[in-house]
Amino acid sequence: MKRTLLEAFAIIAIGAMAALAANALSPRGLRLTRDYFPAPTPRMAAPGSNAPADSLAALAARLAGHGLKLADTNRVLQAQNDPRRATGQVLIIDARDDQHYQTGHLPGAVQFDYYRPEAFLPQLIPALQLAREIIIYCNGGDCEDSELAAVMLREFAPNARDAVYVYAGGYAEWSSHGYPLEKGAAK
Amino acid sequence: MKAGAAPAKSAALEYGAVLARWLLGALFVYMGLGKALHPVEFLKLTRAYELTSSSLALNVIAAVLPWFEVFCGILLLAGVAVRGAALLLLGLLAPFTFVVLQRALDIATERHLPLCAVQFDCGCGSGEVFICRKIAENIFLMGLCGFLLLSGRGGKWACWFAPFGKRCSTGEDRGAGLPRPRVSPCRPPAGPG
Repeated sequence: MKRTLLEAFAIIAIGAMAALAANALSPRGLRLTRDYFPAPTPRMAAPGSNAPADSLAALAARLAGHGLKLADTNRVLQAQNDPRRATGQVLIIDARDDQHYQTGHLPGAVQFDYYRPEAFLPQLIPALQLAREIIIYCNGGDCEDSELAAVMLREFAPNARDAVYVYAGGYAEWSSHGYPLEKGAAK
Repeated sequence: MKAGAAPAKSAALEYGAVLARWLLGALFVYMGLGKALHPVEFLKLTRAYELTSSSLALNVIAAVLPWFEVFCGILLLAGVAVRGAALLLLGLLAPFTFVVLQRALDIATERHLPLCAVQFDCGCGSGEVFICRKIAENIFLMGLCGFLLLSGRGGKWACWFAPFGKRCSTGEDRGAGLPRPRVSPCRPPAGPG
């Protein structure tokens, strides 16, 4: 048993170092020192579970606490048809990863993957500074990435601080209505 | 007839242990890679268990655990430090099964569901599952780990079965006719003078 314990300790030491190295080398690796969930959010249901998600009223109250607003599908449709979109004053942001974004996103939505901000912020910051209204969405349901992204991006949008919306229904609700979608990477 | 029964049983146990080692190894490589290649998803799932309030600890768990599982799986497939790897996987599976069960019980209570009707992505690397099935699977895997750990078998086709194991083998502790793990035969005790 002593030898087995010795083996286990050796595996822990070598395995932990190998795992940290693999995470550091992986392009999808996590940044260990970053707080990915800075905003206090209630316990979330596991994705795809049959556990209860937050009610919309509770979500709206929580968003208000961060200076954000809740958007429904009609609000997003208004933004889609708003002539200010052409001048970049109305901005729609997709807070999902590359794979989901490229599979399908709302027309004209720009991508911002909250978990890889360094890859998106340099291009996004000029657009955020210009924007007067921002709508952010993710998958919908129990997805909280749009809320986390909104809290972060609001700091870069001086003209839209009181007009940052989270579309809680997200991509799932939009696509379920049969509204138009775009595919492919950002242009 | 009786004389051949013991070696046959021993050989069967040895082959069974090798199969257990390969099954465990392949499963952990597969499930570990599934998580390691999607670390953000695993981070979110790990967070749902509310194991820690420290962001650093959460990140370390989500970043290290999947690769560590892959590492242990490779060790088992290759037959390196088999008992140590089995002990560690048992040490991962047991608390993980406990927290999955605890979370499933919480969801069952909240939703007024029977336990076996609860399903969610438990972060096991196999997506959304019915939790009773997952727990049964984990108990089976823990049984395989326990078998490898306690039987000391599975050395056939192993690269380095016991790196810190005994330096010699009497040849009596394994099935006859099977290749030995990488240990040298014992020298006879030195005679007087």
